Amino acid sequence: MSLKFIQAEKQVYDSIVFPAFDLTIAGGEVTAICSNVNIREQLIEIILGRNFLSNGEIQYADEKKLAFFFLHEGLHERLTVQEFLKFYHQLYQSKQSIEEITRLVQLDSKKNKKIKDLTYSEKKRAQLAYILIQNAETYIMEEPDQNLDVESKRIFIAVFNELRKLNKTVLVLTSHLETAVTVADKIVRLDDKGLQIVQTEEEHPEELHNVNVIESETEEKIVQPIRFEKIPTKVNEKIVLFDPPEIDYIESTEGQTFLHIKGESFPCTFTLNELEERLYPFGFFRCHRSYIVNLQKVREVITWTRNSYSLVLDDALKSSVPLSKTKMADLKGMLGLK
Amino acid sequence: MTISWKRVNAILQKDFKDFSRNSAVSIIIFFPIILAAIYGRMGIDSLQTQFMNINMAFAMVGTYVQCCLIAEEKEKNTLRGLMLSPASTLEILGGKSLLTFVLTIIVVFFSAYLSEYRPANVAVVAIAILLSTLFYIGMGTLLGLVAKSVMESSVIVLPVIGIFTMGSFVTALTEKYPILKVAEFLPNIQLIELAEEVEQGAGFVQVLPNLGIIGIWIVAVFALTVVVYRKRMVD
Repeated sequence: MSLKFIQAEKQVYDSIVFPAFDLTIAGGEVTAICSNVNIREQLIEIILGRNFLSNGEIQYADEKKLAFFFLHEGLHERLTVQEFLKFYHQLYQSKQSIEEITRLVQLDSKKNKKIKDLTYSEKKRAQLAYILIQNAETYIMEEPDQNLDVESKRIFIAVFNELRKLNKTVLVLTSHLETAVTVADKIVRLDDKGLQIVQTEEEHPEELHNVNVIESETEEKIVQPIRFEKIPTKVNEKIVLFDPPEIDYIESTEGQTFLHIKGESFPCTFTLNELEERLYPFGFFRCHRSYIVNLQKVREVITWTRNSYSLVLDDALKSSVPLSKTKMADLKGMLGLK
Repeated sequence: MTISWKRVNAILQKDFKDFSRNSAVSIIIFFPIILAAIYGRMGIDSLQTQFMNINMAFAMVGTYVQCCLIAEEKEKNTLRGLMLSPASTLEILGGKSLLTFVLTIIVVFFSAYLSEYRPANVAVVAIAILLSTLFYIGMGTLLGLVAKSVMESSVIVLPVIGIFTMGSFVTALTEKYPILKVAEFLPNIQLIELAEEVEQGAGFVQVLPNLGIIGIWIVAVFALTVVVYRKRMVD
């Protein structure tokens, strides 16, 4: 039922792709591995058996019980959705009901359309239906929600919940922390330094308390007549100063904070807590353990499920930032909604 | 390894739907039939022309269609999905070959019928045609494994169509260039020789050498296909 990496490590010639790590993915759990594209592709090749680990091993129940959701998957474009699913249904001699799966991915109104006439997101949903038909034990998903429209993202999250209920093992391979935070229960980051677990648990109540204390302090500070409020960042030995309203959002990865401004990111020397304190008066909001967002730039709040939310910003990239459950309550409070 | 008929059938059905909607490739099967009908109406009923038509049907349907079916799976990146499924390579190729086989037999039948070809001994000619179909499908599979896209397969199938359709006329040149006698061992020319012998009243036993040579071609092309398959599967 589970997928296990035991002291798995990969080297190509002299360079380390990823050092030895242990990871167990249990049934009924969605785990995300955040990594760069190279590691992601290597991992998939290794699980497919086309490439080998330098050391260690990967254990899974049965090769036939693995289902892959590739980022670049070809579908039989001249078949209709119904025919396509029926074909794989026969091929896998699956006992799943095609109607149920089509409904789950919400393609029932399009089932007599040829696949080549579907939009990109609908094709991805057809692909999702195709891996559900396989009724596998373990699902390996490569960048499941990349470039999807909002409706399809919601469907994907619903499918993930369904898979959790059925006690399936799901491994999501992605390079976007935002994707990982939205879909997965357990998030790890894998790079050439090794494996780190990304904390996603909600913060402790005391910390929340601290924030409140800081709030009152900053309110006092704001009264001071002259105050320097630029945020310094470092770009190639240069120090660049940004006005707080320019900043779209701030992300923290591996202890390093990055300011995101007009689609570019700049490393900043302050910690997220310090920045939160400094930026609170400018309408910044700590929406997640590793994110601070400029509330002025938030356009939409998307509710994926009752417990998972995202903020969509009004910048050129329409970037989205995860919003954690407890913070949702705070945000509602700030907006005056109850 | 057991072959599941259900899976072969699923692939056959899928390929049939896919093929019938792919007009760029499916239109080709009408070409030999139309040509045969024209020749038939014009009253050209020499065995050479009738068999040029039948050989064209073999090359265009048996080889070209089979080649396209395989190459398209590669081009559209759908082969990976099929390979990861419980269907084995043998079942995938089997389903495709079955479709090509049926199509070839139908096209050859209509080509022969419309060009007014009425063999003296239907059974012997039918066996020869079945064997030839196997050879051309083997050829198509081989080219399909080599070609990376439908575009490429239409190019590499051209020499095959040339040799096996027009190649039959080489026999007229053997008087002048004795070296071309080698060409008489080609399966298409063997088929014509066999048909001529049948017209002169030959039975199954008399044409056995011709069938044997076609058989050797089948074995050779399938062996080559297996070798190429093993090599290609490494990458």
